[in-house]
Amino acid sequence: MFKRFLSLEWKQFSRSSYFQKGIAIKILLILAALYFGGCFLVLGTSAFFILEDTFPKEDPVTIVNNYLIFWFLIDIAYRYFMQQLPVMNIKPYMIIPIKRKTVIHFLLGKTTVSFFNFLPLFFFLPFTIVLLVQGYNPLNVVAWFFSMLFFTLSINYLNFLLNKNDKIFYTILTLLVAGVAVEFYDIYPLAEKAGIFFNTIYQKPYAILIPLLLMVLLYRRTYSFIRKGFYLDAEISKKTETVKTSELNWLNRFGRIAPFLKNDVRLILRNKRPKQVLFMSFLFLFYGLIFYTNDSYNSMPAFLAFASMFVTGGFLMSFGQLVPSWDSEYYKLLMSQNIPYREYLESKWSLMVVAVLVSFVLSTPYIYFGWDIFGMIAAGALFNVGLNSFITLYGGVLNRVPMELNVKAKAFSNTQGFNPTQLLIALPKIFGPMLIFYLPYKLINFEAGLIFLALSGLAGIVFKNFFLNKIEKIYQKNKYKTIAAFDEKA
Amino acid sequence: MIHVNNLSKSYNGTTVLHINDLEIPKGQSFGLVGNNGAGKTTFFSLLLDLIQPSSGNITNNEVIVNESEAWKPFTSSFIDESFLIGYLTAEEYFYFIGELRGQNKADVDKLLANFEDFFHGEILQQKKYLRDLSKGNQKKAGIVAALIGNPEVIILDEPFANLDPTTQIRLKQIIKELAEEKNITILISSHDLIHVTEVCERIVVLDKGETVKDIKTSEATLQELETYFSR
Repeated sequence: MFKRFLSLEWKQFSRSSYFQKGIAIKILLILAALYFGGCFLVLGTSAFFILEDTFPKEDPVTIVNNYLIFWFLIDIAYRYFMQQLPVMNIKPYMIIPIKRKTVIHFLLGKTTVSFFNFLPLFFFLPFTIVLLVQGYNPLNVVAWFFSMLFFTLSINYLNFLLNKNDKIFYTILTLLVAGVAVEFYDIYPLAEKAGIFFNTIYQKPYAILIPLLLMVLLYRRTYSFIRKGFYLDAEISKKTETVKTSELNWLNRFGRIAPFLKNDVRLILRNKRPKQVLFMSFLFLFYGLIFYTNDSYNSMPAFLAFASMFVTGGFLMSFGQLVPSWDSEYYKLLMSQNIPYREYLESKWSLMVVAVLVSFVLSTPYIYFGWDIFGMIAAGALFNVGLNSFITLYGGVLNRVPMELNVKAKAFSNTQGFNPTQLLIALPKIFGPMLIFYLPYKLINFEAGLIFLALSGLAGIVFKNFFLNKIEKIYQKNKYKTIAAFDEKA
Repeated sequence: MIHVNNLSKSYNGTTVLHINDLEIPKGQSFGLVGNNGAGKTTFFSLLLDLIQPSSGNITNNEVIVNESEAWKPFTSSFIDESFLIGYLTAEEYFYFIGELRGQNKADVDKLLANFEDFFHGEILQQKKYLRDLSKGNQKKAGIVAALIGNPEVIILDEPFANLDPTTQIRLKQIIKELAEEKNITILISSHDLIHVTEVCERIVVLDKGETVKDIKTSEATLQELETYFSR
């Protein structure tokens, strides 16, 4: 039976439209997978030596064990967003004579071979090998390795149970943030305490039973969870959400574009995919931390200009590059209704501008890094509003990928909205602010760079009508192509 | 009202629709029947400028539909579920369409009040998004939305499919009432010969993209159609 399921899965995979969509995307995906795998591999092989050099007094294994708690918490949080539950199309199997047991075991077995379970192995396996080569007790090391594997799989099944529940997820996220804060500001040695647990597991090989039991328990729990829901009216049918209606009358002040704005606000609040984008763009706010805290970038202000643009541009870019794909599900309606493209575009533009302003306000804590940095963020925000918004909207028109609004994006199959054109469009977004800043900076001084970057944005706002007209023309030119493309279900 | 000139649509050399000349006068209730693949939806899509004609064109009230958008204010349609915005409630959807067609909330409410029977208490105040309604109820919402804003041309693709018997009867009543108003041109496609003969003054049969029959509806029409389709 499993064999037959596997062949069905293979057909579903190889015949799905995104699979047949061009070699470039496949290569990029493989590259991305290789990249992440490679990063972990390098980390796994070198972690031992790095830790040994940095903390010569401590045992690298102990240090790793101390921080495992964060590793696993991050794993849970990350999976919640990226790992999609492999909801096999159960319906057709409900009425044909296959044991439910078989279907559920297959379903769970399928999640076990997920990329998310292999990724940690890219770290743990080389790390374990290094330990063995370094002459650590093989029994302890091997038992530890399998414990890690079991923990990872436990998280995998746990994710199944959690994915239905936002509250638990946010609790874990809060725990994670609090844990990092507590550790970072030396309030409480959380890592050390949690490390006791993992170190014990390392020192007493028979303790492998703990994660093993945990894994078995969670597997059984998940099994019975699915078993109970194996009816048409239970988990398989999609849940009907209770509706929270709101008139959104405060948006009426935007005049002509108000109806579209209301729709867009509802679009974002009521669908899974846009919510995901909203969350991701929130993370962009922290992008600056990587750059501003790193001394090597301080001598390369052009990179800082790029980072500053990212701080306020997260939503703008991730939402904007999928205009009009967001409306793909009902694009035919929009095209046959009494809708001027212009107002449609302006609504999206306004939304993006508001997002930039909100991000800008939220980014005020960056003043901590000095007014130079904050000035850069301000100039970057202006660039986003005036130029980046139009470049992104322009890229979106050429995108033409249908999108299922209420389905979360899958990790590593997230080809929706990704093609070579997007890459080309990304170039001016990335190098634009760098160049606009760098030339006057090199020729005159830092302030001149800022002023030029800010002015470029202001110029964009002045020429708003010109840009919108251009984009509108492309919309008109591509109308039929877009309708046809959106008609193909993703 | 609607005039078709040498219209054809082909994909990779295969012609799926070819209509030389077809005139639909203002106020007519016009029915389109044909088996699957006969070109009904293709014709409606061309009429709404959702696909591009391979040759010829359609004029809607003197406006060439694939050259100007001036037909949009007086034309409305419901073709399939992709005309619904799934994450809105029915009310929100009606008001949105209303705003696009220059109708305020009160106007829309007034219109909706006429359809209380048709909705059968399953559309309004449901606290449900359109995507969570059943297929039949989605269709009801879509059809009524197509009547918002005093359109002069109404295009409905298979409006009777998926509806329960009661609603089918009510819909027939609604279409008949609309047809009586002299300035509304209504275009319907259907697989149900009885329904279409009941509500349409004129019936055109499409087969493999060509018009094979053009009948002014009379007592004998149903028989004629049944004979034709049982060939």
